[in-house]
Amino acid sequence: MTDRIVDVARAVAPTADLELDCKGLLCPLPVYRTAQALNRLAAGQVLRVECTDPGSLADFPALARQRRLTLISATEQGGVQVFHLRKEAE
Amino acid sequence: MAGEGEAEAMEIIDTAAGSATLGAATEAMETRGPVRRQDRVAGLGANAARRRYGDVRELIASRENPTPLVRLNRVVPPDAEAFLKLEWMNPFGSIKDRTARYLLDGMRERGELEGRELVEATSGNTGIALAALAALAGIPLTVTIPSGVPQEKLVLLRMLGATVMPTPDDLCPVDNPRDGAIALARAVAESPAHRGRYAMPNQYANPDNVRAHYETTGPEIWEQTEGRVRAFVAGYGTCGTITGVGRFLKERDPSIRIVAVEPQLGHRLPGLKNLQEAKAPGILDRSVIDDVVRVDDAHAYAMAKRLFREEGLIVGPSTGAIVEAVASLGTEGWGAGLAVGVSPDGGQKYASFYADYLGEEGAAR
Repeated sequence: MTDRIVDVARAVAPTADLELDCKGLLCPLPVYRTAQALNRLAAGQVLRVECTDPGSLADFPALARQRRLTLISATEQGGVQVFHLRKEAE
Repeated sequence: MAGEGEAEAMEIIDTAAGSATLGAATEAMETRGPVRRQDRVAGLGANAARRRYGDVRELIASRENPTPLVRLNRVVPPDAEAFLKLEWMNPFGSIKDRTARYLLDGMRERGELEGRELVEATSGNTGIALAALAALAGIPLTVTIPSGVPQEKLVLLRMLGATVMPTPDDLCPVDNPRDGAIALARAVAESPAHRGRYAMPNQYANPDNVRAHYETTGPEIWEQTEGRVRAFVAGYGTCGTITGVGRFLKERDPSIRIVAVEPQLGHRLPGLKNLQEAKAPGILDRSVIDDVVRVDDAHAYAMAKRLFREEGLIVGPSTGAIVEAVASLGTEGWGAGLAVGVSPDGGQKYASFYADYLGEEGAAR
């Protein structure tokens, strides 16, 4: 899983249309709040999420697979994971 | 008189709740909350014999004020002596009124409620009872709800002022899918970002859930049947009922048969749990259970319909499953003796489920 994360992290992070601060929230709250926030986004828009629960590293790729989402980037710096997700058209 | 003693106990609880809640909750109480007791005009006192109460909480079932036990006359074999305990006669509509009262009283006694909000995972009934009690005490409540709970319950929770978080089954891919709501409630309670603002009663692991049934439901059944109960049937849910009542009755007479009802995989019986797809609650004590009866949705709903039509009992679907198990106790001649089944809640909250079940049946063309 870590390999995969490092791999996607090579992509350049785009500008986000909406930012979500999920630092200090335990799994599955970051995924829950992300799923809620996606309802406020239009197709093609990008959401940036900051998390600190290590469980997020497994949860966000899984969320992207379940919903119509593309995980554009996933990076980790100083214990904070940053995810960029793009909402795809239905 | 017992009823009046209870009314006094309630008054103490009420005052404690008013002073224990800090910050926003207290402020809300003072600015737009209910009229405080000391401001109220003195009037008729509570009188249980006349069924007159000073506060809705006094209606929550207890040994002095048990829920009714009603005989089943048509849906069980003719030689059967079987009774249903109508838990929907509790003021907030379900067996969970008992649980919610014990959970909150326990937390209050341990000082866990001071200045905090509540969060709990529930398929609805515990949430509704907690929401009503929390509203009366001025404590905000957040409820996480698994998928498959009828819209009616979500609306009741919101009417009572609770914040509702519906939890999709696929939310937490790592955990048991059906336990996502529990994981979410725990995350709300334990997330460092919330700085301990939330207290979680956790009915699945809290011994006060069992105590509610050990101290009230169990003794009520024993006294209402004059010690003649031979079999007790309840569902696997939080397992508070089966463990608490089972433990109480086994202490009276170890030969009393305790029967647990387990629904099918992917069932549509809110409140019940299939322990293959959901984690066994921490409070479950399997040592008090003699038999597990599996009932599928088709039989549960068919029995619920029979209870409506043949017994005049407007029950929820889980009661259908429980009575189906009660009826099966006597398949080889009714050797079961006096049997008591629990009816956890009434049918009103499941109008949408029953509409699906009925299809076109009974609709005039």
